[in-house]
Amino acid sequence: MRFTRTSKAVGVAAAAALALSACAADTGTDSNDDGSDGEASGGAIRVVEVNAFSSFNSNTSEGNVDINGKIAYATHAGFVYVNNDLEVVQNEDFGTMEVLSEDPLSVRYTVNEDVTWSDGNAVDAGDLLLTWAIHSGYFDDAETDDEGETVSGTTYFDYAGDSSGLALTDLPEIGEDGRSITLNYSEPYADYMVAFGDMTGEAGIATPAHVIAEKAGLADEDALIELIQTAPAGDPENPEERPEIQAMADFWNTGFDTKSLPEDESLYLSNGPFIASSITPDQSMTLVRNEDYDWGPIPNVDEITVRYIGEAPAQVQALQNGEVDIIAPQASADTVEQLEALSDSGVTIEQGNQLSYDHIDLNFDGVFEDENVREAFMKTVPRQQLVDTIIKKINPDAEPLDSQLFLTDQEAYEEAASTNGSDAYDEVDIEGARELLDGATPEVRIMYNRDNPNRLNAYTLIAESAAEAGFNVVDGGLGASDWGAALGNGTYDATIFGWINSGVGVSGVPQIFKTGNGSNFNGFSSPEADELMDELIVTTDPAEQDALQVQIDQLIWDSKYGLPLFQVPGVDAYSDNVSGVEYMPNQMGIWWNFWDWSVAS
Amino acid sequence: MVTYIVRRLVTAVLILFGASFVVYQLTALSGDPLEDLRGSSAPNRDQLIQARIELLDLNTPAPLRYFGWLAGAAKCLVPFAATCDLGTSIQGEAVTTALARAMGNTITLVTTATILAIIIGVSLGIITALRQYSGLDYGVTFMSFLFFSLPIFWLAVLLKEFGAIGFNNFLRDPEIPPLTILVVAIASGLIWSLFASSSWKRKGIAFLLGAVVAAGLLIVLDLLDWFSNPGLGPIVIVITGIGIALGVVLLTAGLRNRKALYASFIIVALSLVAYYVVNPLFSSATIWMIIVFAAVMVLVGVLVGYLMGGYDRGQSMRAAALTGLLMAFVIIVDRFMVTWPAYVSNSRVGGRPIATVGAETPGLDESLWINGLDTFTHLLLPTLALLLASLASYSRYSRASMLEIMNQDYIRTARAKGLSERTVVMRHAFRNALIPLATLVAFDIGALIGGAIITEQVFAFAGMGQLFVQALRRVDPDPIMGFFLIAGILALVFNLVADIVYSFLDPRVRVKA
Repeated sequence: MRFTRTSKAVGVAAAAALALSACAADTGTDSNDDGSDGEASGGAIRVVEVNAFSSFNSNTSEGNVDINGKIAYATHAGFVYVNNDLEVVQNEDFGTMEVLSEDPLSVRYTVNEDVTWSDGNAVDAGDLLLTWAIHSGYFDDAETDDEGETVSGTTYFDYAGDSSGLALTDLPEIGEDGRSITLNYSEPYADYMVAFGDMTGEAGIATPAHVIAEKAGLADEDALIELIQTAPAGDPENPEERPEIQAMADFWNTGFDTKSLPEDESLYLSNGPFIASSITPDQSMTLVRNEDYDWGPIPNVDEITVRYIGEAPAQVQALQNGEVDIIAPQASADTVEQLEALSDSGVTIEQGNQLSYDHIDLNFDGVFEDENVREAFMKTVPRQQLVDTIIKKINPDAEPLDSQLFLTDQEAYEEAASTNGSDAYDEVDIEGARELLDGATPEVRIMYNRDNPNRLNAYTLIAESAAEAGFNVVDGGLGASDWGAALGNGTYDATIFGWINSGVGVSGVPQIFKTGNGSNFNGFSSPEADELMDELIVTTDPAEQDALQVQIDQLIWDSKYGLPLFQVPGVDAYSDNVSGVEYMPNQMGIWWNFWDWSVAS
Repeated sequence: MVTYIVRRLVTAVLILFGASFVVYQLTALSGDPLEDLRGSSAPNRDQLIQARIELLDLNTPAPLRYFGWLAGAAKCLVPFAATCDLGTSIQGEAVTTALARAMGNTITLVTTATILAIIIGVSLGIITALRQYSGLDYGVTFMSFLFFSLPIFWLAVLLKEFGAIGFNNFLRDPEIPPLTILVVAIASGLIWSLFASSSWKRKGIAFLLGAVVAAGLLIVLDLLDWFSNPGLGPIVIVITGIGIALGVVLLTAGLRNRKALYASFIIVALSLVAYYVVNPLFSSATIWMIIVFAAVMVLVGVLVGYLMGGYDRGQSMRAAALTGLLMAFVIIVDRFMVTWPAYVSNSRVGGRPIATVGAETPGLDESLWINGLDTFTHLLLPTLALLLASLASYSRYSRASMLEIMNQDYIRTARAKGLSERTVVMRHAFRNALIPLATLVAFDIGALIGGAIITEQVFAFAGMGQLFVQALRRVDPDPIMGFFLIAGILALVFNLVADIVYSFLDPRVRVKA
């Protein structure tokens, strides 16, 4: 009895279900109102970055992270940018940079009319003046002791860039049109082209003066201009309190730091091609077209989404899965191999050099005091073999670097490399080294970062080759946390590490090679080269700069300084969804020409 | 008891002090925060180094710096004062903000995996214990240890390759090749035969049945183009519902309890009605609507069970309520499936739904259903990876504990007095077998917030593990200390909770004050 009731129940239910089966419930999903980007014309591109965005101000020492710089580059405009031939290109649609006189150097910057921030406020002399005040360290009056502790005064704006160029300028004059300022240098400055308003280095004109004025409690932008013009320059001898400047600096230093999109739109004003539209902290960020923008290269795409993926294999698989369009992973042989396997499915790989290069430097004292010993050691360094084993897997076109001052991507490289005598070290010359050593077996301690596989490989090959010529090589490798502190402390005879060439400008040259300077770790000293470097940093003509650098390069090689080894390789890859991506050696990477990116139809 | 808890709490605080000091020192010693600047050729190198030294207060020795941090952290103890200061990261973000965000992300990532691992792991353990030394037992043991020993980063790469890239490629043209059908059929047959009891004849039948069902299902799904337009529809919902009702009643009341069975069937019938009623409403659903719907289904189940009345109506109520909950789940799953084509064809998804990285498709801001699917497709692979890796511990623990219980005298007594096997297993053995697991679960919940460092890294998931790793890379002590505080406090608290819960669950264990 019960059993039949069960079957009835089941039967009724089944019959009901069958009867109703023809009509599934009304879910309202048939009228598919998708098409979120239906009307958009340029499409969207998804780019991968390793680090997560953390600040709308990429110029402070806290905000100075590669990704912040790239976002700032895409959301601001300036007078010049650097292209992937490492040449400085002027953006005359934004404004003009006129050299009024070469000596004394005087440069006038004028913003074009109708250039505005995304809130409608004009980009004008106030913005230029504020940028100058921040980047020149004009108000700083801090004095520090030997340990680096501030003993008196204040460093106002925590600017991470190099102030040495603008520090040579007086308080600028504002032009009558209200859109221009004139910088008068006290002496010619070699890198004046990129000293102010450079999009690549400092995101152009990136700080809206009217916002800073408001946030610092000033009446308006005019009050800010007045304040900068009337406050005296900082003097470490007589430090003074400047509460208003301090308020501005406090806000500038930290007020733009954020991992999410601020409610207050004035914190992320754009005067460039794109403007931030949404951020998911530590995951992704979306930039959309700044509709007003027409002062500079106009981007093809309407939207750029940046996703942060740290691991290179994860980047490659995300590209393969079509989740992202462009990746620039940390270059390694494995990554390149994985990418090459994808070339069938429409992935294009771009390989090239980065601006950093590894080199071996010999100390000018201790065992290497004798020039012959230095030369003998240099003859044993297997530069071609290093490139073949370490770099070729990542960048098949790589060659040993033949200049201490130029990178292969720079125009003057060929000239320098062919005249500086580097060809003597193209091949290992054990016999020649033995002759120079004349039976001696000097003990050489080589210091390097043991935790960096490339440096370890380089050390192993160099030590092997040097031992053949009779050198008694001692492994002085240190861990990642210690090697940096050991630079220049005299506990080693030679060191293998990397420099980063700025690619543009020459002010980095004396920092490494001038007698007694901060990054001159091996005690290189050449009065002749010092003189040429003094001349170099006041030479504004690019051709003359190159000529001087070729001479300095020659002097360095002649002194048996050590050897540049190779440029660190870089790789990026993009799917067939996009076109227009071009390799760039500097820190801007693929972003340098984001306006050329377009979505393949 | 109170004295015991207080004593444990005091020890916990002391442990935290000691451990945080050690962790702070270890972090400070873990690297050179100036490494990148020392070898810099920038003209303003010295200035940059000085700025970093000031930012991180490097001129103060680390043991002293610890007390600076402690002074800020101590303010967190003041209740409701909102003065908590755990410092800031190198990039200037308050650690409290970063922690809150990372914890939220980690909880979304790990919760599902942990719950599933507990449910599946415990069930597997119980089943294998009941069939000790059978093919099923060996099979499950082998698989769980295999997944346990696989490095998770490698497992993740495989999952991405086949689960995401391979499956998305398949979706472009969803046609299942005959070879695949054959392989799946054989695999399914093998699994079925593992579950069948010992005799070879029954194993053979199970194998055939399993193979035919799997192959038939795949062919039908293929013909219906189900992978492009998935959905259950009313028929499948009802068939599933009948299965659910039978299973639930079997486990909770036994099929002999007709009242419970009818109550569950009535719920299945009602849920078919509900399917038609709620689906139009679901078009503008919110998460609360779904929760209310599930709650209503449960309440209706309780009501129906109550109205069925009879002897021990509690059993009917439980069975019907559980059936109601599961039916609500089925209806919601069906709704998600129906939304699938709209999700896949969304321009931001671009026809490749299963994701390999991140927690969401950036910029996708549509209905609850589409964004729900988006979360599903992003969490699927990391959840699978975590699940597979953590199955082993649960299944082994619960198997061992179940085996021990099944050999106890009281189980024999229960059988001897004529209780059905279901009652013996579900009532007398299963519940007691869960007691030792309470410790394990409590520990795991404590560890859950600590994040899954490698999984997060491989799937580019911004949780606690990432927070820790990235801070460690920058030699940035404050975020690490924040991470440590949360992870450490949770470990200590859940340790305590595990001990207390244990004494409640098992009267033989008494806490001595």
